[in-house]
Amino acid sequence: MTRKTIWHFTFVSLIIGFMLAIQFQTSQEPDVRDTRDIWEIRRDLQKEQELHKQLLNEIRKYEETLEQYEQQRSENKGAILRQTVEELKKEAGLTEVVGEGIVLYIEQMYDESYVGPVSDTISADLLRRLINELNMYGAEHISIADQRLVNTTVIRDINGVTKVDSYPLRSFPIEIKVITPDAEKMYNRLKASTIADDFALENLLLTVSEPQQRVVISPYDGTVRVKRMEAVEEDRR
Amino acid sequence: MWLPLLGLLLGILLGLLTDWRIPSEYSSYLSIAVLAAFDTLIGGIRAHLQNIYDEHVFVSGFFFNIILATSLAFLGVHLGVDLYLAAVFAFGVRLFQNIAVIRRILLTKWLENRQKNRL
Repeated sequence: MTRKTIWHFTFVSLIIGFMLAIQFQTSQEPDVRDTRDIWEIRRDLQKEQELHKQLLNEIRKYEETLEQYEQQRSENKGAILRQTVEELKKEAGLTEVVGEGIVLYIEQMYDESYVGPVSDTISADLLRRLINELNMYGAEHISIADQRLVNTTVIRDINGVTKVDSYPLRSFPIEIKVITPDAEKMYNRLKASTIADDFALENLLLTVSEPQQRVVISPYDGTVRVKRMEAVEEDRR
Repeated sequence: MWLPLLGLLLGILLGLLTDWRIPSEYSSYLSIAVLAAFDTLIGGIRAHLQNIYDEHVFVSGFFFNIILATSLAFLGVHLGVDLYLAAVFAFGVRLFQNIAVIRRILLTKWLENRQKNRL
């Protein structure tokens, strides 16, 4: 046996020994034998069962909390819905509104020398023009002779009588209440507007009150009939 | 003659002292590598006794067998077939054959020696 051969064998057996030792250690790892007797095992089992129970309790607790949160969330949803409904009702004019605003009066204007025919109503065109003007100046809620103006309100001439919805405007003065976020500004704009001249042409006098802190506008007393309307398909987010 | 045995002991000592552990999922690879190495070692001893020993064959066989065996085991794991059994079988059979051959050669030598001594 040459020296080289011996070294080869030595090298190979060294590697084998190394691998053997590692394999031995790896497979010998769980070297703790279970030496518990039945009572000890029972005790340990009881301990584990208690732990199990505890964990179950915790799970239940967290589930309850989760449920509570869910409930609160859905209740909040309901509250938000109700709030939205209220807001929409307010916007639609189905509630009484109180706020800063101005009051306009329309009266007949005849001077001493007048001898022509006397009109006892205001033309629908002129009234619509006034309403448009008010809306242009930022009116939020308007009522004409305590008739609340809503989106479906019509102002029209029926057999010579101007009617707001179905309420006839027969007697002067006609009171128009307007609620607006900035009454002062509306007052000034109305003062500067030429609408009063248009009224004068029809022998009517438009008086604009000073801005008032508290104007009460009663709700719309009719029923809102929706003839054509459909829900918008909205993507769920 | 005693140097290889010393190497084996040194290797075991080294392995135990380093305190290395491989993950248990790789232990089958290691065991098959150990088997392949053993096969090569015993084969080398047999070849040496039969005077057909070639150091290139021995060293290349050592590494090649280990790599082949482990890659076979690896392939088996990934194919879901226990291919390492093929390596275990092949190496096992060869191990037994080689050891048998070594035993016979040693026995023959021993008997020859005894006869010589008697004469």
